[in-house]
Amino acid sequence: MKLLDIAFKDLLRAFRSAFLLVMMFGAPLLMTGIFYLAFGGLASGSASGLASGDEGGFDLPVTKVQVVNPDQPAAQYGGFSAGGMLVQFLQNEALQELVQTTVAPDEASARAAVDARQAALVLIIPPGFTAGIYTPDTHATITLYQDPTLTLGPGIVKGLVGQFLDGFSGSKIALGVTEAQLRQRGEVLDSLSAEGQKLLLAYSAWAQKMGESQSQGTNPLLDIQAPPTRAGQGAAASQSPATLVGLVMAGMLIFFVFFTGAGSAESLLTEDEQGTLSRLFTTPTPRSVILGGKFVSVFLTTIVQVIVLLVASALAFGIRWGQPLAVALVALGMVVAAAGFGVLLISFLRSSRQAGPVMGVVLTLTGMLGGLFTTGIADLPAAFNTVNLFTPHGWALRGWKLALAGAGPAEVLLPVLVMLAMGTVFFAVGVGFFRKRFA
Amino acid sequence: MDENQAVSQAAVRGVSFDVRVGEIFSLLGPNGAGKSTIISMLSCLLAPTSGDARVMGHSVVRAPMAVKAVIGVVPQDIALYPDLSARENLNFWGKMYGLRGAPLRQRGDEILELIGLVDRQRGAVEKFSDGMKRRLNIGIALLNRPQVIIMDEPTVGLDPQSRRNILDNVKELNRQGMTVCYTTHYMEEAQELSDHIAIMDQGQIIAYGTHAELIKIVGELDRIDLTLNVSSEQVLETWRMLAGVRQVSAQDGTLTLLVEDSTLVLPRLFESASRADVRITSVAVQEPNLEAVFLHLTGRALRDT
Repeated sequence: MKLLDIAFKDLLRAFRSAFLLVMMFGAPLLMTGIFYLAFGGLASGSASGLASGDEGGFDLPVTKVQVVNPDQPAAQYGGFSAGGMLVQFLQNEALQELVQTTVAPDEASARAAVDARQAALVLIIPPGFTAGIYTPDTHATITLYQDPTLTLGPGIVKGLVGQFLDGFSGSKIALGVTEAQLRQRGEVLDSLSAEGQKLLLAYSAWAQKMGESQSQGTNPLLDIQAPPTRAGQGAAASQSPATLVGLVMAGMLIFFVFFTGAGSAESLLTEDEQGTLSRLFTTPTPRSVILGGKFVSVFLTTIVQVIVLLVASALAFGIRWGQPLAVALVALGMVVAAAGFGVLLISFLRSSRQAGPVMGVVLTLTGMLGGLFTTGIADLPAAFNTVNLFTPHGWALRGWKLALAGAGPAEVLLPVLVMLAMGTVFFAVGVGFFRKRFA
Repeated sequence: MDENQAVSQAAVRGVSFDVRVGEIFSLLGPNGAGKSTIISMLSCLLAPTSGDARVMGHSVVRAPMAVKAVIGVVPQDIALYPDLSARENLNFWGKMYGLRGAPLRQRGDEILELIGLVDRQRGAVEKFSDGMKRRLNIGIALLNRPQVIIMDEPTVGLDPQSRRNILDNVKELNRQGMTVCYTTHYMEEAQELSDHIAIMDQGQIIAYGTHAELIKIVGELDRIDLTLNVSSEQVLETWRMLAGVRQVSAQDGTLTLLVEDSTLVLPRLFESASRADVRITSVAVQEPNLEAVFLHLTGRALRDT
């Protein structure tokens, strides 16, 4: 019980220290936050990219459109109505965030709705719209009646209608070219025939699909594929910004957890210098319990830090750390390694005055060798990946890379076991030094 | 108690004394005399390389936990957690003495009342004055209702008022039945507080007894401190030969004489100085005290060592 009293006292003191709080939570989140703002934010736009404002995109109002469509399906065109197709296009689910299209019973009521500012614009489809599309050397005109105070919404609708009409214009051109080529071979294709209509509609459908794909940033003619990467070792250049933010946060997490491990262990030196350790030794509390309490506090402090940072970074940067059990295992291994490393490092020092510079140099150096500051750099020399296996930081980073890539508990077991082994050895040696000195 | 750790030189050697239950016992001596070493051994912080000490019948070597259970230690330096409040410090240290729950809260209330920090119990110790910290430093040593309280120079560096408060607290604790083992290099404190005093120098006890018994060592001699305008061996030799002068020593430009009757000796001192063409620039006369005892036994002034 006294052991936990000592550990909780240290935990309380740690969380009252502004410096430690900044180093434990502020610095890693701030440094990752800077990276996130520089790169990660670019990847967080909405899928449609325009209307949704909840992830940093533009927040456009939905444009209300009324359509007057007297263009009826005609038997000579196989019951097809180009006007009806345009209405369906505008009422497509994919466009719901941009336009809200309703069919008006007549032109007068639709114009009245715009005048009353109940709609942004009216599309008036002519009665012979379908015939105008099918018949060569003819044309049909769609009239647009809009609220003159609005520009953006009507502009978007104009673009969408233009995209739709381009599909049919292309169809007519394609049909004309096909007719001409067939004619040269002595064959005849009547645009009004079933074959002609089928060809027209197929081309138009392809054109619509093409336009939609391009508006979403993809091109159906090109299929760009990245080479597959091995989990945990993928080149950073091929990672998405969100993944890169996760890797940077992992690097910061490891660096500052190791810092906290050493910083917590340093309290043994400060208590020795302030006389509270000697005073503890004058109480009826065994020295093993006192030292044990100090060491437990190192573990407790780092555990709290890791939990807070994992949760905070997931909430702040949307980092998905991986499968819960794998994450827990990697976190456990890292805590043991960081606490053991901290206890060992501090056990070599004689005073807290030595601790600041020594911790700074050793932790920065081991952090660099462990690859904590180069998580965003691709194509590091192979030798570097070998060197970082000699540091607990390197193994911790390896564990987090695997977890971030979605690896399961079995896959993270190797780095976790190595971290546990390293941490245990470090801890045992450090405790040995401390016992020799104080017990 | 015998020897302390002997690496190249023992900090204390051949030390042996008794402290009676319910008394105030003082270890008086200059810095480096070995007082804190003895306190560390009595507090079970330091094990003697040979010999033993018994506190309320418990051996510091064989039963240190039993000793720790009956003592309260007030260290020379303030040993508190500055970022915790007075109450939090008391709670933590109380737990280290095995107190929990209601008894811990009750004892904390009593201590805060005793040291006058009830109103400041929630404040961080780092914002306390030195005097308040010293009081809390003592209060923590009282948490386990110790039978023996060991105080290692608790008034070092304090202003006169805070020092007065602590001396009064020590007397009050003793009046309540607590045995006090007190170390100091202030002669006045040992003189005012102690039933028995052990004077230490260079790791050994050179005198032990009550205040009156110790004064008898110097035979009711007066002490005269003088300064001259020039250093003169001839004058010193003359003074050593004067009737009524028992001892003459010089340290840092000040001459100290132990004499039988200062009123008779002083005119002779001025006369001989005048004959040697030397002028006495300052004179201070003291009745017999522990300072004189130390001077008599070591040839050095307590305050200058």
